[in-house]
Amino acid sequence: MNTPQNAGYMIAAYSVASVLLLGYAVSLFRRYRSGK
Amino acid sequence: MTATNEHDSLIRRGLWITALALVALGGVFAQALLRTPVERWQGPAQKILYVHAPAATMSLMAFLLVGVASMGYLFLKDRRLDTFAEASAEVGLAFGAVMLTTGPLWARPVWGTWWQWEPRLTLTLLLVLLFVGYRTMRTAIDDPDDRARFSAVVGIMALVLVPFVHLSVYLFRTIHPQPVIFKPSAPSLPWEMLRVFLMSMVAYLAVYVGFVTTRYGIGRRAAAAEAS
Repeated sequence: MNTPQNAGYMIAAYSVASVLLLGYAVSLFRRYRSGK
Repeated sequence: MTATNEHDSLIRRGLWITALALVALGGVFAQALLRTPVERWQGPAQKILYVHAPAATMSLMAFLLVGVASMGYLFLKDRRLDTFAEASAEVGLAFGAVMLTTGPLWARPVWGTWWQWEPRLTLTLLLVLLFVGYRTMRTAIDDPDDRARFSAVVGIMALVLVPFVHLSVYLFRTIHPQPVIFKPSAPSLPWEMLRVFLMSMVAYLAVYVGFVTTRYGIGRRAAAAEAS
């Protein structure tokens, strides 16, 4: 059996995780700056 | 040092830890994508393991700590424990979002479906929704003592669900694979994969510490403002 070609899902998962974690970090920074 | 300065200093420390931890996590992601072998049967999608499983572990750990801090609050009535529980719940939701988005992206090519209403996935979704409710409830209660008390009760109720989520793969017939690392016997991953997986766990843990320290500082600052 050939190895499946599904790298698109892998890239999508790493991209989504990076955006979510960076986005939350930015939201914390903005809350710090806004004083709320 | 005034209380506000003390809280701001704690938040800044948390932000620094977060920044360093995210850089480390980026390095681990690069290692996972470029240096780990491609699994023969699942293909490159198997590498989602390094981003999905540690996020799921951090999410469950965060929710577990909410329950522990909530019990501590009900016994000790120390507001700092309530603030920690609030911080850990929110951070758990951030990791939960990573878990619930990367899971289907792994399931689709390997299981042939984005989602299955089977025990592990359904219980995990319920747990995350419970904490969405926890967070919403906190914004709806004005009195700080009532908010802390009611939140602690919900946090403890959710704690009961955490072991069920972890053990669901043993208790029920489920499509979700059993743990390959956190199990009584030795990990069933080859060393080249296990090494990067453990690095990912450490980096994720550092991100958790950074997020919670920052969010806890923001919560303490808000509590001080509320009291004055």
